[in-house]
Amino acid sequence: MSPIIRFDRVSVIVHEKTILSDISFTLFPGEKAVLCGKSGSGKSSVLRTLLGLHPIKSGTVYFQEQPLTPSSVQTVRSCTAYIGQEPMLGAESVREALLLPFQFKTHRDHKPTEAQLIEVLQRLHLPADILRQESSRISGGEKQRIALARGLLLGKKLYLLDEVTSALDAESKQAVFDVFSDPQLTVLSVAHDPEWLERCGIVFELEAGRLTQVKRNGNT
Amino acid sequence: METLDIALPRMALLYGLCLLPWLLLWLIGLRLSRDIGISILRMSIQLALVGIYLKMLFDLNHPWLNGLWILVMLLVADLSILRRAGLKARYFVLATFMAIASSILFSTAYLVILVIQPTHFYDARYIVPLAGMILGNCLQGNVIALERFYSALRKNENEYATFLMLGATRWEAVRPYFRDAVKAAINPTIAGMATMGLVSLPGMMTGQILGGSEPWLAVKYQIAIMICIFTSTTIACIINLKLSLNIAFNEFDVLRDEVIDKP
Repeated sequence: MSPIIRFDRVSVIVHEKTILSDISFTLFPGEKAVLCGKSGSGKSSVLRTLLGLHPIKSGTVYFQEQPLTPSSVQTVRSCTAYIGQEPMLGAESVREALLLPFQFKTHRDHKPTEAQLIEVLQRLHLPADILRQESSRISGGEKQRIALARGLLLGKKLYLLDEVTSALDAESKQAVFDVFSDPQLTVLSVAHDPEWLERCGIVFELEAGRLTQVKRNGNT
Repeated sequence: METLDIALPRMALLYGLCLLPWLLLWLIGLRLSRDIGISILRMSIQLALVGIYLKMLFDLNHPWLNGLWILVMLLVADLSILRRAGLKARYFVLATFMAIASSILFSTAYLVILVIQPTHFYDARYIVPLAGMILGNCLQGNVIALERFYSALRKNENEYATFLMLGATRWEAVRPYFRDAVKAAINPTIAGMATMGLVSLPGMMTGQILGGSEPWLAVKYQIAIMICIFTSTTIACIINLKLSLNIAFNEFDVLRDEVIDKP
């Protein structure tokens, strides 16, 4: 089986500051990994680099063994769901936010049915009537789950999660854990939550932009 | 009907009128004497030079000379748009020039050749003031369009990135900001047309009436110029923003920091 993500000696410089230095790691389909480290250690930068949002100074990022290039970045983005701490829903109502990607040419022919919308909301312990609510009026935790629901509706297989469990209550957190117990979904996350760390099989530790330690199933 | 001349002593009297606002500003503690003085001086010198040049232009009425004057106006407008919009001229100078030149030349040619139909299409008396008026308004619109668009993108960087992550192409991801910027740019012209004649008498019409034209003729010219301003502003803003997209983003669709002139 070939890796879904491979960083090969990747260094990133933004505004003349090195934010990632000589990073190498691999992630296989279905694996769940977490990036740990102090604030400013480069955790979120790893996610942003994979999405082509940071210029790569040296090294190569591979997605499904294809190097990340201007022509392949669209594929990476269309296969990936990125969910941040305060996700941007980009629409006025929750329903519009869920249907937003289906306005774009890539997904136009795969618009979900009402039943599919409700089913995905239920999986994430969200009530159906949230569809009518304004995006600006829902909580941070609900926003995260709506963003996650959007990724599930798009059938994404790779999830980049930046501190998603931080705003969730115990029940919602459990719903998120249940969703990601699916062996078909690959997760690369940034988290400090001990429960989340425990559930992820792989832990990458970062310090000042360098990968200092990799633990796979508790082994260094 | 002749326009009454304003003799130099009476022009001096006119400058004296500025003393009143200057005094009022001084009384409320606004020390703007230097700025006001420089602005009035610049206006007077610039207009005097334009007056001399226009007199020469009208007397010679040579197509190449008229064309050269319009080219100079376009270049000055080009640099002014980019400076005021906070974008670096070295990246956008060509794109903005192409946008404003194509729209101004098209709308001025349409107006002069098809609508006004003077004996010579290059007649300085028509093309120079008309192109100048259209360009002046187009300039404002382009400043608003570019400034709004790139400010909105920088302010909504995460939202823009979210659109990309959801499978949007660069064009699909910037479209909401693009629409807002064009709307903001043409709104003053649309509002101006809606209230024209009710709130104020437009400058060109006033000028023509003072110049001895019949009000009805002045009205027709005013309508013509407003339609051309609206057309050229809309075309120029859309072309300008569209062309700028190829310059302002890197190949990964990320806005390049170096193209923005930091305040």
